[in-house]
Amino acid sequence: MFWESSIPNVLAGDASLEVSPAAAPPMDDEAFAAFYERSARSLWAYLARTSGDPTLAEDIMQESYVRFLCLANPPSYLADGEVACRRYLFRIATNLLRDHWRRPRSASIEEMPENLFACVDEQVASDSQMILGPALAQMRPRDRQLLWLAHAEGYSHHEIAEITGLASASIRLLLFRARRKIAYLLQNQNRGRQA
Amino acid sequence: MTLRSCPREAEVKALVERGQWPQACASDLRTHVDSCRSCSELVLVTAAFQRARNHAVGAAKLGSAGLLWWRAQLRRRNAAVERISRPILSAQIFALAVNLVVAAAVAVWQARHGVAWLTWLEQLPHNVSLQFLTSLVPEGLFNFGAGSLMSPLVLIFAASALLLVGGVVAYFASEKQ
Repeated sequence: MFWESSIPNVLAGDASLEVSPAAAPPMDDEAFAAFYERSARSLWAYLARTSGDPTLAEDIMQESYVRFLCLANPPSYLADGEVACRRYLFRIATNLLRDHWRRPRSASIEEMPENLFACVDEQVASDSQMILGPALAQMRPRDRQLLWLAHAEGYSHHEIAEITGLASASIRLLLFRARRKIAYLLQNQNRGRQA
Repeated sequence: MTLRSCPREAEVKALVERGQWPQACASDLRTHVDSCRSCSELVLVTAAFQRARNHAVGAAKLGSAGLLWWRAQLRRRNAAVERISRPILSAQIFALAVNLVVAAAVAVWQARHGVAWLTWLEQLPHNVSLQFLTSLVPEGLFNFGAGSLMSPLVLIFAASALLLVGGVVAYFASEKQ
């Protein structure tokens, strides 16, 4: 007789884990499928645009959902609502992306050159060429994240602070500087096209 | 760099995010945006990000939600098993440590008091109930005389065999887990 059989429900998956409220998943599988359908595209867009690597975005997106479902104290889908779950998901993804950037080098993420994270995918590169890519590629990774969260996802400063882990008071200044810089780059880009 | 924001920024941003800029906004707001650097930058940047978002959202290729759900279940299950295994491993380490301490204490005690208890083994063959054991062991094995080298050897072999068997049992127990 193995020890597993003497301890009931250890390997029973859902049944055993639902016993412990700390380990209970934030939602059931059907609710998760619906939540995934509604949130995955915007999460992928955020990751793909800020990392410049669609494959990496895919990997981090999947890992974010898995971690979200494995959280010890996840936001409740019913009590906190989808917005809170979505925000938490973006927070996990942001941390994973930051970890990825930090991993291969010992230097701080702030010291890395912007062009290190330039787009590598051909399709995304061509799309970015038309829309935002060249300007975004010249921004620092953290600024890309802030700009995307503020202007593409429409998050408030408080929400961005929650997602990125930065102080709420500093978001305004960082965002202001990043917006000014990218606006300058976009204007130059537009002038170059017109000329 | 001075941090100055326009009070109409929120209004402009909401219009751009809803896709109502510039067609569905008042002419005075358009005039304001043309003259306000902060608002014109906001329009430029927000519009560019909204377009990029719409494009990227359309280009996203999603995997299966069921597969992610299954992966999460597997990970949580493994975490649960690991949580359960941790105290068992601790108990094994504790048991091993206790055994080692006891063995060391016995060895020290034996070294101090000699191997007097082995005289009991000398009388073992005379015990009627264990008579059959004498037929199993070679003759003279338990005759530990004063100059005999057999007593420490037997002890060492017995301890080694115990340790070996214990190690094998512990290994198989870990393998089963």
